[in-house]
Amino acid sequence: MTTQSNNTNAAKRPPKRSHWQIMCDVIFALIIRELKTRFGANRLGYFWALAEPMAQAAVMALIFSLLGRSSLSGVPVALFMLVAILPFKLFSKLLPQLSAAIESNKGLLGYRQVTASDPIISRLIIEVITFLIVYLLLMSTMAWLGYNVIPDDLLELLGVSALTIIMATGLGLMLCAATTWWKDTGKIVSMVMQPMFFISGIMFCATMIPQQYWYLLSWNPLFHVTELSRDAYFSAYQTPVGSFEYLGIWAIASFTFGLMTFQVNRQRFITT
Amino acid sequence: MIHFENVSKFYPTKQGRHYVFRNIDLDLPTDRNIAILGPNGVGKSTLIRMIGGTDMPNEGRIRSLKNISWPLGLQGGLQGSMTARENVKFIARIHGYKNTRPIEKRVQEFAEVGKYFDEPVKSYSSGMRSRVTFGLTMAFDFDFDVLLIDELGAVGDANFRKKSEELLLSKYETTKLIMVNHNIRELKKFCQTGLVIKDQQLHFFDDINDAVELYQATYVKNNVK
Repeated sequence: MTTQSNNTNAAKRPPKRSHWQIMCDVIFALIIRELKTRFGANRLGYFWALAEPMAQAAVMALIFSLLGRSSLSGVPVALFMLVAILPFKLFSKLLPQLSAAIESNKGLLGYRQVTASDPIISRLIIEVITFLIVYLLLMSTMAWLGYNVIPDDLLELLGVSALTIIMATGLGLMLCAATTWWKDTGKIVSMVMQPMFFISGIMFCATMIPQQYWYLLSWNPLFHVTELSRDAYFSAYQTPVGSFEYLGIWAIASFTFGLMTFQVNRQRFITT
Repeated sequence: MIHFENVSKFYPTKQGRHYVFRNIDLDLPTDRNIAILGPNGVGKSTLIRMIGGTDMPNEGRIRSLKNISWPLGLQGGLQGSMTARENVKFIARIHGYKNTRPIEKRVQEFAEVGKYFDEPVKSYSSGMRSRVTFGLTMAFDFDFDVLLIDELGAVGDANFRKKSEELLLSKYETTKLIMVNHNIRELKKFCQTGLVIKDQQLHFFDDINDAVELYQATYVKNNVK
């Protein structure tokens, strides 16, 4: 038990902070708040956050292994699937999370310390860290099962992941602004993301498709994400479609446009 | 001082821009308590929010070197999906407190909402909300120079009102109030000066009685007629 005088001492006014420190404090507070509301319901909360993508990836890998295909392009099928599922999951989690970031923290924007970009940054940090942990956990499990899980080109892999994150952030910022104009934006996003799972090259890769049909898929930046991820991970797989230029343009364009729409609409986040 | 520099604020409506304030140039003192007077919809809460930095004017700006609180009222301030304790922790953290426990304890003691302190705020009655909101200011040791209060006292029960009144009066020396309340008697008890919102302008009076007079002359009579 603390005494009264102790109490007042401990709650003493903190020293003046710089803008940067205020922002760090706010983002830290928001991250704690997000983790609490998302996983706080039960103690296994964060475990489920990790288990869900892991289970999904494992089931997909298992199905394909059971179908009798043990190797695609000389790579074990389970690993081949995982390397594509994980960045796709990252994208499809980031998008709805970011687009709802402001809406679900609205009450907290009432404090002048909290600016509209803070919830976006906190959710970004949470999702990216979760992605990294899931990635490492899954790959360690695969290594334990006897697979060779060391990526052949780590730098390329990091590059693809970074571009994926930038692209998702840009689109997320745009959707965030769109949500203030039209509440149901989120529903459209989840409707669009459903078929994306099937056309983004998760269960197949470009070399399995005749060349004249590539154009049906190559418009999709997520297809480039999965292709390039595999290309980076397995030197045995050379992607004929995946292009850093195309993905990079998507990432830069959506990020630029996202920042623009966000900046133009920032008043709406507070007032509506 | 709180400086208003050519401040205009409008809301877009279907019939075009609805101006709440137009080209306001004004210096508000921060060494006395100010009552804000005006009927519903004239812009009292908007004014409070703009002073508190929660809302931005469409033109011009509001400057102050004083430490001004966020608007304490029933709207906003607390996130409904979080419990009171989580709200308190959050607010303490964004204000730079590393150890939030003493603040939690003091808010809890002041608010007296019992076990509801660990229930989501959206399940609260408005009286409970105002208790927590009020408890928050008290726990921060009143390090604010100016406290913005938007009709907060209106919903509390007698016991709580007494408690919060005592608290406000005891901090009189260091913390000044800017207050919105429809109860003139209540306003007179706390405030020496008054601010009337009329014709998209702010009219400041050094004596609250003059402000009340103008308020009653412009609004009350018209309404009765």
